[in-house]
Amino acid sequence: MTGVYVHIPYCVRKCAYCDFCSVPKNETAEAYPDALCREIELSRDRLPYEGPVPSVFFGGGTPTVLPAEALIRTLDTLRRTYEVLPAAEITAECNPGTASYADFVKLRAAGFNRLSLGLQSANDALLKAVGRIHTYDQFLSAFRAARDAGFQNINVDLMHGLPGQTEADYLTTLQKVCALGPEHISAYALILEEGTPLHQQVRAGETSLPDEDAVADMEDAGMACLEDRGYRRYEVSNFAQPGYECRHNLIYWNDEPYLGFGVAAHSSARGRGMWRRWSNVESIPTYLKRLQRGRLPTAETLRIDKKEEMFEVIMLGLRKVEGIPRQTFLDRFGLPLEQAFPEAFLEVQANGWWADSPARYALTKQGMDHLNTALCYFR
Amino acid sequence: MDQSHIRNFCIIAHIDHGKSTLADRMMELTDTVAKRDMEAQLLDSMDIERERGITIKASAVRMFYTAANGEQYMFNLIDTPGHVDFTYEVSRALKACEGAVLVVDATQGIEAQTLANVYLAIDNDLEVLPVINKIDLPSAEPERVMHEIEDVIGLPAEDAPRVSAKTGLNVEEVLAKIVDLVPAPAGDPNSPTKALIFDCLYDNYKGALSYVRVFDGAIRPGMRIRSMATGHEFDVTEVGVFTPQWKTVEELTAGEVGYVAASIKSVEETKVGDTLTDVANPASEPLPGYMKVNPMVFCGIYPADGSHYGDLMEALEKLKLNDASLSFEKETSAALGYGFRCGFLGLLHMEIITERLEREFDLDLVTTSPSVVYRVKMMSGETIVIDNPASLPDPSEIDYMEEPMVKASIMTPPDYVGPIMELCQNNRGIFEHMDYIEKDRVKILYTLPLNEIIYDFFDSLKSRSKGYASFDYELKDYQKSDLVRLDFLLNGDMCDALSTIVHKDRAYPKGRAVCEKLKDVIPRQQFEIPVQAAIGGKIIARETVKAVRKDVLAKCYGGDISRKKKLLEKQKEGKKRMRQVGTVSVPSDAFMSVLRING
Repeated sequence: MTGVYVHIPYCVRKCAYCDFCSVPKNETAEAYPDALCREIELSRDRLPYEGPVPSVFFGGGTPTVLPAEALIRTLDTLRRTYEVLPAAEITAECNPGTASYADFVKLRAAGFNRLSLGLQSANDALLKAVGRIHTYDQFLSAFRAARDAGFQNINVDLMHGLPGQTEADYLTTLQKVCALGPEHISAYALILEEGTPLHQQVRAGETSLPDEDAVADMEDAGMACLEDRGYRRYEVSNFAQPGYECRHNLIYWNDEPYLGFGVAAHSSARGRGMWRRWSNVESIPTYLKRLQRGRLPTAETLRIDKKEEMFEVIMLGLRKVEGIPRQTFLDRFGLPLEQAFPEAFLEVQANGWWADSPARYALTKQGMDHLNTALCYFR
Repeated sequence: MDQSHIRNFCIIAHIDHGKSTLADRMMELTDTVAKRDMEAQLLDSMDIERERGITIKASAVRMFYTAANGEQYMFNLIDTPGHVDFTYEVSRALKACEGAVLVVDATQGIEAQTLANVYLAIDNDLEVLPVINKIDLPSAEPERVMHEIEDVIGLPAEDAPRVSAKTGLNVEEVLAKIVDLVPAPAGDPNSPTKALIFDCLYDNYKGALSYVRVFDGAIRPGMRIRSMATGHEFDVTEVGVFTPQWKTVEELTAGEVGYVAASIKSVEETKVGDTLTDVANPASEPLPGYMKVNPMVFCGIYPADGSHYGDLMEALEKLKLNDASLSFEKETSAALGYGFRCGFLGLLHMEIITERLEREFDLDLVTTSPSVVYRVKMMSGETIVIDNPASLPDPSEIDYMEEPMVKASIMTPPDYVGPIMELCQNNRGIFEHMDYIEKDRVKILYTLPLNEIIYDFFDSLKSRSKGYASFDYELKDYQKSDLVRLDFLLNGDMCDALSTIVHKDRAYPKGRAVCEKLKDVIPRQQFEIPVQAAIGGKIIARETVKAVRKDVLAKCYGGDISRKKKLLEKQKEGKKRMRQVGTVSVPSDAFMSVLRING
């Protein structure tokens, strides 16, 4: 099984906190879909591929700033080139205001069956403060249009720790969103990344973020609120109604192979006996040029040795509430985790962070709160 | 050269008054260095010297000047440091000269350090030749400064050259004055050899070198010489001068200045101020002037990463070769592990050494709170001397303690007298005297405890006077004082590297200020950490570092796994740079950040 990620690097405008590979839509967007299709075709014989595709994820950027036809053509190319399973989860990210009801209908008809809508907050003042392009009302319209077009699996992206945000404010957002009944909610804590406009504003004292404790309070209160409303936490920042856990993200957290297409996309798969990670070039012109010349846009490849692969499985797997099944670890590496990392295992134990589940390596809630500290034991 | 055609002189000035720039122009005018080879401030060869615009090590350079009468003169220019920490280096350089060029900034006038150095020069019987510099600046007041030199120092300054060392204006006049006014040396070339060591240097190829001024006799290669202070004997392998590059010569005779290379293993064997003589025909008496320099300020220096202890030791040993005034010995701290207790001439000296260690030897360091030398009178009647708070005996065994006091002289425009007196008062200063030496220049004398001025006194003085006040001090005596050791506890464990000796009245504010700072610089950990200040067993201040609640990355950066790994790597790396104080991890820079707090 191999997941597929497709990166669309365009947005209407970049948000103040964003440090993903995205740019305001420009003239390169014309040639981009062709390049993507070319990359997919070229990759078929050159990249390691371990069987059918259970999940395709169009992320960005904002994929829906491209015409629906461009996304559909890319998906069709994928289907022609790789075996996308009939029941595969096929997701497109979308920001309110970038897609109409008609677009949603086209996407749905072409086989897209999951939509990930970026809302972040139901408070228009906060949305404006971080440079979002839409209001809460516009989100509502987009959500309803998507439902009307037949999307029965919708995720809503939310954030806490925004400048000026309070706990009450965050809970109001959660209540409003839960009332709409999306199948999945991602609730991320804002990470202040260097080089972003928000980082500069904070450094210059023009704005300030809620302090560490306030953010932790929001997170805990938010978690309780979501669980109360039937959204089960299954990963550090992800919640879903039963059966709607995101198949695509689980590929990452299970450290399963995936191919990434598009500028700056990352891939991970076993090739020539060894686990590898590679990434594509980050410059759009370079990406386009490479493909015009019929070359793959790979920038660098990392070979991951067994010890490193074990660490990655732990680093990713422990993000899940259910953790890593013992048997899965044993099958993959031929030894149990406590034997591979005896000292780290005991340190986590000494902190009381292992959840009480003999068949799995999973962390308690407190352990998950201190995941980075726990992972440092394994380095 | 015939002694009548030799002029040995130095340039003395307050920091920034243009001493090194004047030296540069002189070298240009005498064709000692071609203009195109000129690097600004040629004599200051260390990076730090050039960046800070100060001279740390005295250097000497030989120039040939052809006077208006067509005669050629040999000039030996001895450069001297301008900072208060290096008074001893100045004084020994002065002993090698017959004259001193006094540079006064036409925009600033006389400063405390100018005065201190002029008096040193006069005490050494030097002919002082005043020069008014920076007359090219719009704010220059050469007339006023001329009167100031006459009134304050009592030197005739009517004919003082008014120059711009920067542009070269009138610098020629200075050279002519040196010939006219600075006396020629008057030693006896036929008497037994006497040569004064006024500086030492370690060169990787030539070994330990002594900068000398020959008074009587001569030194030439092949001679066996003796240090009259230590009794060590050496064979001279080479003599030479600085032009300012190394240049070997056949001999250095009476009146001349140059370097001597001999089979000297370390600069320790030939002390500055020492006299060299000929073993075959020894002088009966050494030249006056040898004095042992005692460090005034001590601190612990530790590698930020404990595994670099060996590198630090090697680096200190190398610096010591060049700087005999640096002292160090091994020390261990519960918090910081293995390191060194180092002694310095003053706070600037300490800063320069730590900066050189970090820069030239690429070391990351942790320095502990600086301390002065205290005298402790014990109940038993015994007196002990300590330079490290950790070695203070139990208070019940102490009768009383004495601390070093300094005589501080501050020069300032009258506008800042109020804030400056307040600063001195806040630092336990005792007012001694105030003099309006001119209508816009006041000299204030205070007696201050040395331990109050080793932190940020100089910086505060500068900020309170908008940079106008200048400051000089000399050690006065020891006085009885009510001193206590202030300790800091992290989660109940004492952190020895933070302990400091303070006056009892200062302990509370300092304790509070340091606790507040520690609260900010110690990262949150898995448990709550009380941060306490204590005197003896008594807690006088407390802050709390709250426990960390979330230490997890919210998102996983799409499929970019290596990015997340890098972040973890960084976190892990940060942990490595932490020092363990009992149960608490303290970042290395936390120790530094509490140093400058003056409660």
